[in-house]
Amino acid sequence: MVADGKQIKIGLIIIGALMLLYGSPVTAQRNEGTITIRFTHSVQAAPLILDSGVYQNPFGEVYRVSKLKYYISNIKLKEYGKSLWLKNNYYLVDAADTASQQFSITVPAGKYESLEFMIGVDSMKNVSGAQSGALDPTKGMFWTWNSGYIFFKLEGNSTASTFVNQKIEYHIGGFAGAANALQAVNLAPPGNQTIIIHKNAVTTVYINTNVNALWKGSYDLKIATLPAMMTPGMVSKSIAENYKAMFSITNIAAD
Amino acid sequence: MKRVIILLLIFFIVAFTFISATHSLPGPKPHPLKLNIPPGWPKPAKDIFAGNPLTEEGFQLGKKLFYDGRLSKDGNFPCASCHQQFAAFATYDHDFSHGYNNLFTTRNAPPLFNLAWSPLLHWDGGINHIEVQPLAPLTAPNEMAENADSVLKKLRKDTAYVRLFKAAFGTPVINSQRMLKALAQFTGSMVSSNSKYDKVMRGEAKFTYAEDEGYKLFKAHCAHCHTEPLFTDFSFRNNGIDANDYLKDYGRMRITNDKNDSLKFKVPSLRNVALTFPYMHDGRLYSLGQVMEFYSTGININIPTLDSSLKKRVPMTNVQQNNLIYFLYTLTDTAFVKNPRFAQ
Ligand code: HEC
Ligand code: HEC
Repeated sequence: MVADGKQIKIGLIIIGALMLLYGSPVTAQRNEGTITIRFTHSVQAAPLILDSGVYQNPFGEVYRVSKLKYYISNIKLKEYGKSLWLKNNYYLVDAADTASQQFSITVPAGKYESLEFMIGVDSMKNVSGAQSGALDPTKGMFWTWNSGYIFFKLEGNSTASTFVNQKIEYHIGGFAGAANALQAVNLAPPGNQTIIIHKNAVTTVYINTNVNALWKGSYDLKIATLPAMMTPGMVSKSIAENYKAMFSITNIAAD
Repeated sequence: MKRVIILLLIFFIVAFTFISATHSLPGPKPHPLKLNIPPGWPKPAKDIFAGNPLTEEGFQLGKKLFYDGRLSKDGNFPCASCHQQFAAFATYDHDFSHGYNNLFTTRNAPPLFNLAWSPLLHWDGGINHIEVQPLAPLTAPNEMAENADSVLKKLRKDTAYVRLFKAAFGTPVINSQRMLKALAQFTGSMVSSNSKYDKVMRGEAKFTYAEDEGYKLFKAHCAHCHTEPLFTDFSFRNNGIDANDYLKDYGRMRITNDKNDSLKFKVPSLRNVALTFPYMHDGRLYSLGQVMEFYSTGININIPTLDSSLKKRVPMTNVQQNNLIYFLYTLTDTAFVKNPRFAQ
């Protein structure tokens, strides 16, 4: 028996249909959209300019920033009473690297009241050996002599510093016991906005990180008294409690 | 119909070759290994290989890395330069080990074996997982003085490594996680359990009179810290070694910030102790004779954190000290220090 053109065509169409079905992204069928989170950095109202920007902290101490990096993890969207846990990804935001300041997550479409995340890395990942991706311990955010992640790193210099070359260096972290410096941040949108995610669309949430929150909160971090902090402990934890107030949602934009 | 079938076949063959060309297909599966837990030993408190399945290929890759000078900045300081097999992987006859740029380490290099049982590594317990341990020597300016990115670049250029990483992990990707896991497979599978002491315990050999007397002393005065069969209970204690004025190393306190931990160090295993001189975290005692004198008369009883069991020191006659040393000699595991499996 010889196959005619029609049979071959039908055969190919069936194969094609099967392939399409198999390879098509499942998300297209679900009621899902994308949330993009974008970080900008400032000192009060002025944009943060690494190295050259000159700023003043609430104690009148003058400083510059050469490096600012921190971990964002455990992102959740809160939906009036419920909280929706998004993939437990880890993001390393680096003020010197624009690509690191933005990331997108697929989420169920809906209306959300607030956004929650952790600054730092949960204790499990601190004790489970060599990780990869953002948690690669060779990214300069891991203490090699005292295993554990640096959650937040700010380096620069200040005329108020008594440290070598007037340096300032804050490497904050610690996951164990009372000195656990992991901080939860809960951000509501400004005014009476809500975070609305539409099906197959992108909503961008702009978060500004105001460096000056680092210095003053429940703890007074004066450069003259503490130009550097590079170990976990209760002081690090107090500094972490200050910097968790750095973040605010400045705008929400749907595309 | 035949033609349809032939066409379909051709289609699948083309599709398959296309897929296999674009996705680098994993090679043959690596061969699983099991950690050798000697009969009668406790199980390790945590499974260091839980996220890092031990395989022959992973072990071999780890061994190559351990002996490779390229892991250090100038090529001269592989792990093995400080961890020498004939000294049970301690640095033979050195209080401090040589590192990059004529610098020295600030602690005595401990021997490496039975690490799978050790919940925390380093003298102060600062390292919480064997996989992240190599980051410390790799990046320390007085040890290998390197950074991981530059090491990884060197490894990626070497086709032998590309092959070994693929054999161990399925794909030829070379990253820090894989390098660290492979090193952990090598160092974590070193088990020392074949000393004369072990043979006596298994009924295959007998202690001499002096060794037996020494063993009795050991059980009475030492075993509550240097606990059998690993000869350590992995706790952090002060055994009467006072602060080194020059190094100002307060041990465990650096990690916990707790002054009750001042001058406490990890109780070292005494297996292979005849090979690991000099002794203590700063290598201040050169011989087992000096160690005996120290426990007999030298313990600094004014250290507030001194372990309560040593407050009266451990006065021993010369004969007792010698017997105890004879016992410690029975902890040497010649089969381990000569085992070709761990040799370069
Ligand atoms: C320059 C000498 C030097 C080099 C090179 C070196 N080490 Fe070490 N190693 C040491 C010293 C010293 C210590 C003790 C550190 C401490 O307690 O602070 C140590 C401790 C260790 C420990 C902990 C043992 C225990 O029981 O706590 C392991 C495991 C280890 N090294 C493995 C390695 C590996 C793997 C490499 C190669 C990547 C390496 N070392 C390279 C000197 C060295
Ligand atoms: C209270 C717990 C404790 C007791 C009891 C004890 N030790 Fe120790 N031992 C330690 C600690 C802790 C160290 C490491 C101290 C340091 O490096 O500063 C050590 C170190 C040693 C070392 C050096 C090992 C090395 O590789 O550097 C030897 C040898 C030793 N002890 C033998 C003995 C003997 C023999 C006895 C019994 C007479 C004994 N110890 C009793 C806790 C103890």
